[in-house]
Amino acid sequence: MSLNEPIERRSFLQAVGVLGAALAVEGVSGAARGLPAAIRTIRPGPDDPPVPNELVQKIMTDRFQTRPIQRGHVTLDMPPMAEDGRYVPVLIESDLPMAADQYVKGVYLIVDHNPDPLVTAFHLTPALGQVQIQTRIKMKRTSWIRAIAETSTGELWADYLKVETSLNGCG
Amino acid sequence: MRETGKTRIVLPERIQRGDVIRVQIVMQHPMDTGFFRDANANIVPAWFINDVRVLYGDAEVARFEWTSGISKDPMVAFQLRAETEGTLTVVSKDSRGSEFRGSAEIKFATT
Repeated sequence: MSLNEPIERRSFLQAVGVLGAALAVEGVSGAARGLPAAIRTIRPGPDDPPVPNELVQKIMTDRFQTRPIQRGHVTLDMPPMAEDGRYVPVLIESDLPMAADQYVKGVYLIVDHNPDPLVTAFHLTPALGQVQIQTRIKMKRTSWIRAIAETSTGELWADYLKVETSLNGCG
Repeated sequence: MRETGKTRIVLPERIQRGDVIRVQIVMQHPMDTGFFRDANANIVPAWFINDVRVLYGDAEVARFEWTSGISKDPMVAFQLRAETEGTLTVVSKDSRGSEFRGSAEIKFATT
């Protein structure tokens, strides 16, 4: 895929029903394995991916404390199948305002199953005028990806995608 | 020819005051994770850009925390409101302490 071409939007919503079912199963197995309570501190919404491990939990606690993360106002666009885990295109957009008194001050990209899950954090200012960030990341294996926007007032908005990859881009 | 840290900023050809423009930054860097081995089975040590600052004139308008999870020869693009003419500067640092710079001029179209 050429980087200069816009990333095609996927029919993500069509798949939500299937993913919801898959998540329900994952959630049950997570509880059955007896994960420590700390891992379950941040409670995902009904169709949000569960926090998979202590590393991701620590990142979320360090950056967001116990504030609720709501779905919406953020769109994460990635190919559902990333053929090469070394180069996976990412597009993050938000319709949240970028005004002097209210703006998006941070955008966090977390790849649940990467060795270093917080792949990047973008610290922004109202001078940007609009949140639309494009980059390329590495993925170790199939994983949920979290794009979380933090506003200047401390609100957290997110979008999640599961991206499959077979070629390990992290080593 | 490869030149580690070389930073290129791509701006639209025509910019008018108040436009929200696309700024694309392309750098040359291996972004080694430290998990891969070379042909002789030696570990390739971690070496990556971990801090990127974007200055518009003297003001810092964005700062990116990066890890080795950003792809080799990093690319990042974002929007910027072009309010004044001035220099856009990208200053990045890598995990070995090297600093790299690149810049481009934001100039408004006259016609």
